[in-house]
Amino acid sequence: MNLPLFATLLLAGIAALDATPVAQTLLSQPLVSAALLGALWGDVRVALEVGVVLQILAASTSPVGARTPEDYASGGVIGIGLALALATRAPFAMYRDSCAILGVLTGLVAATGGVPLLKWQRRRNEGLSRWCEGELRAGNEGALAASHRAAAALAFAVGVGYAALWLGLGVVLLSRLATAESLHLSRAWALAQPLWIGLGLAQLLHAFVQRRLARAALFGIAMIGAWLALMIGTP
Amino acid sequence: MARLRPGDLWRMALRASLLQATWNYERQQGVGWAFGLQPALKRLYPDRAERCDRLAEHTAYFNTQPTLASLALGAVAALEEQRAAGGGPDAAGMARVKSALGSSLAALGDRMFWFTLRPFAACLGILLAPAGLARGALALWLCYNAFHQGVRFAGLGWGYREGPAVLDERLRGRLDRLIRLFGMGGAMLIGVLVATLLVPGGEPRPIVFQATLAAGLGLGFVAAQRPRPSPTQWALGVGALCVAAAWLH
Repeated sequence: MNLPLFATLLLAGIAALDATPVAQTLLSQPLVSAALLGALWGDVRVALEVGVVLQILAASTSPVGARTPEDYASGGVIGIGLALALATRAPFAMYRDSCAILGVLTGLVAATGGVPLLKWQRRRNEGLSRWCEGELRAGNEGALAASHRAAAALAFAVGVGYAALWLGLGVVLLSRLATAESLHLSRAWALAQPLWIGLGLAQLLHAFVQRRLARAALFGIAMIGAWLALMIGTP
Repeated sequence: MARLRPGDLWRMALRASLLQATWNYERQQGVGWAFGLQPALKRLYPDRAERCDRLAEHTAYFNTQPTLASLALGAVAALEEQRAAGGGPDAAGMARVKSALGSSLAALGDRMFWFTLRPFAACLGILLAPAGLARGALALWLCYNAFHQGVRFAGLGWGYREGPAVLDERLRGRLDRLIRLFGMGGAMLIGVLVATLLVPGGEPRPIVFQATLAAGLGLGFVAAQRPRPSPTQWALGVGALCVAAAWLH
């Protein structure tokens, strides 16, 4: 097994832990995964392109209350990992663009497909919590630590297994598509990338502005100011 | 009378990171809550059977925003200290305090951390990423964790000192001001981000890119008016349409 692939699977497990069960430090965000995987696979450009799109979309998805949001922790590692694994096979720009769009699409599907898996884990934890209470009532204080170890191990294993499945299937099924249809896919990437970025940024702006005119004005002033500074140059 | 020591609070803060490890639909953070409170109860209840009973009580339903949960943990630890000394609320009273603190902190914490700070940190990271992916990722991570871990660790002490009154008008006011500040900063960051996407390094992008970005922004504003379909579902639909369009072209 090659080292980058092994490390990608390990990162998928760590991301699955960070997303909800342990610490929630945002280590599982696609941009952080992209930086780590880009350095690991030695291809920062593809990692950046896929990571930015997935990050913008992930930022507009919130784990509020009991809602189970799309699993961008796994989706990010899977999408970026797959794009990088495919992109190592050829150096051509058009081919790499086709790898990027396949990576983003796979990442989005994997993030959506991860929701039932998260719900399944949460239902498994119901049994664990009942067992824990029973053990505590019986005087076994160590049940609390044991149930936490079990839940964390399950989350890690599910993260690694889910990523292994997607990466294995993706590399086998999509490498021929990326090679044979790189022209069409690179055209699709040229169209989809700005659309995705715009779609995600609008969602974020909507969340920040919240119908407040002053904030909308700040957005406009910052945009025009930055545009002028970039076009004319700062003194 | 047994009193909690700084080391106990420190251990509780560390365990607060695992509050969501056993999250489930029945008790939500209940077991994680009991695990977080365990170092305090170990100090306060030397009798193992009594301690296990208290811990079992605390595995009941609890849910709040995970970062601000530290404040509730500290406040409940202070109440448990009174209870161990023979005062403080009984089990039902404790459950009421937990429920009140949990829902108030969730309302504030969701706005602060999920709706404001996390998107703000993501925008900052994305803005810096083209100049260095590692720099962008580090900015995102540090910006978020400076507040997230700071509140998680300091919050336990605040909760312990103030008790259930920790969520007073002063703290609410401070957090509200921070939310407003991050909201305004986030709107400005997106403005700068859009400008750098249109003219990176002073070189305007092709008109097709600019028009497509504008179309994406327009579509995003329409999509943001309704909770369903989710942004991810919109993105999947857009991706499928772009692939189909590239084939038909």
